[in-house]
Amino acid sequence: MSTLVHRRNTVQNINELIDSAPMTSSQLTNDHRASLSARFRAVNATSNRRIDAWMVEQAGKPYDPFHWTPQIARRVLGTNALRRSTTRSDLSLIQAVRDELADHLLRTTAGYTQSGSLSYWLSGLSHASLGLVCAEAVTWATTTYEVLQGIETPWQLAQSDAYYDVSAARTSLRGRRDIVIKNDEQRVVLRLRAGSPGKSSGPGLRCDLTIDALTSPTGTAASRFIGVWPDAGVCLSVDGTMADLRAGARDLVRTAVVQQRGQMLKAA
Amino acid sequence: MAMTILAPSSPLSAIEALRGDKTKRPLCDLSSASGLRAQLEDGIYSIMGKASPLTPLVVRSSSLRQNHHTIDIQQASLSLFRGILVTQVLRLLSVGVEVTDPFSEALSAWRCEKSGSDLVRSFNQLDKEQVARLEADVNAHASTLKRSLGVVSATWMPRSCVRASQRFAGGHVLLFDVVDLMVGSTTSKFASVALFDVTTSPLDAGAERTMRFHALMQTLKTSVCRFEHQCFQVPLVSSGRVTSITNFFREVLMKYSALSMTCGSTYEHSGSPSQHSSKH
Repeated sequence: MSTLVHRRNTVQNINELIDSAPMTSSQLTNDHRASLSARFRAVNATSNRRIDAWMVEQAGKPYDPFHWTPQIARRVLGTNALRRSTTRSDLSLIQAVRDELADHLLRTTAGYTQSGSLSYWLSGLSHASLGLVCAEAVTWATTTYEVLQGIETPWQLAQSDAYYDVSAARTSLRGRRDIVIKNDEQRVVLRLRAGSPGKSSGPGLRCDLTIDALTSPTGTAASRFIGVWPDAGVCLSVDGTMADLRAGARDLVRTAVVQQRGQMLKAA
Repeated sequence: MAMTILAPSSPLSAIEALRGDKTKRPLCDLSSASGLRAQLEDGIYSIMGKASPLTPLVVRSSSLRQNHHTIDIQQASLSLFRGILVTQVLRLLSVGVEVTDPFSEALSAWRCEKSGSDLVRSFNQLDKEQVARLEADVNAHASTLKRSLGVVSATWMPRSCVRASQRFAGGHVLLFDVVDLMVGSTTSKFASVALFDVTTSPLDAGAERTMRFHALMQTLKTSVCRFEHQCFQVPLVSSGRVTSITNFFREVLMKYSALSMTCGSTYEHSGSPSQHSSKH
């Protein structure tokens, strides 16, 4: 049975979802990992593939070629800027974003960036375009900050997204996570997304839950995984039950299958 | 009853006027927003009934304009580009970017944001004369905006192009909104949020409805009224657009009107060639 819950995005609801998270959560064993790997290996891959919750929500629809835009860059820059400003109370979010941008530009000047990286892209932008990137990042950081302000339990910003390389299957899984709340034995993860949730957002959330559990060294799933859509004022949550983990894994494999079929049709 | 209150004189700084007196801010209204969604659902149901259109009915702030019409991207008027570019200038100013050449900087920012979009392609097809006219227009508007906006303090947490989307009637009615600039904290116990909307078109009744729509959408999004002195109303959806909103945020409206008058009147004097709506 699915544990998907839909709530309005209010401070009270978010805190209730965090406080009422189950005390126990499921654990993925080596057998689970081996089984997942076998299923992915069964789906031929002509090149390395990366699957994330967004692709699951889009039913494996092929991506346009990736290119950086201010909307894509805002999450990385905004979250890092927020991390800076939480450690230095005198730093405003705008200044933190500027510092973050300056660091990226310095990295390029020092020759530590590769073509296609965020730093490389930023270094090629005009003064005005950098201003727009700054504005987008400030908006993202402020939105995240406002969500954080309402959380009563101690929280921390996630150090990075969850990346899991499926052994011998030329497949890497990427799960988004923004805020981690650790409370005794519980671990609740929050993920922020722009726009509004659609019918497939629940499966997407379960995929992020599964990938997050796979990246845990012990395989322990988060007690609850909460997806927040501030633009729509909505939040969804799923619990770290084995049923949800299995459903997430199934959707990831299905997406790989759909992708493979698409590639075969394209080749034909 | 809808009522527009205009400030007796133009404020020196629009941002200062919007922020108001910090000591006089009321507490957030936690009760007025409750039931608003249900009222809207009821209002929509009374019009749509159980009909389930194949494509959702989309309502945007532009849908509320009196002479609203579908914009043909191929024939997008200069006023549309003007609105887009002036908004880009506002976004740059909101994060403290020094804008010395408004037209080219706004264009650069817009192209960076929307590279490859139909609108950008449409812009690229403008002839030299049209671009020159647009440049003069944007520069004039940006000059007015810079003068009347004032300094946006970082402590006010400015965020630009703040989006909101709401689904009603089981997803058959979609409400979309983009606020040009939002300042103030939504986590404070005091009502301190102010919305800032720039329009380069002359004021009409549609502008007033747009202001109320922004306030309504932001309230639906957070479920709390964070504006000063607010009262609610119910939009009724008919024929694909909101036809009436009977309640509105009085204080916000007053501030908006003051700002719109400041910018709008100056814009008219600056010789705006088009009277079409350019708010997007």
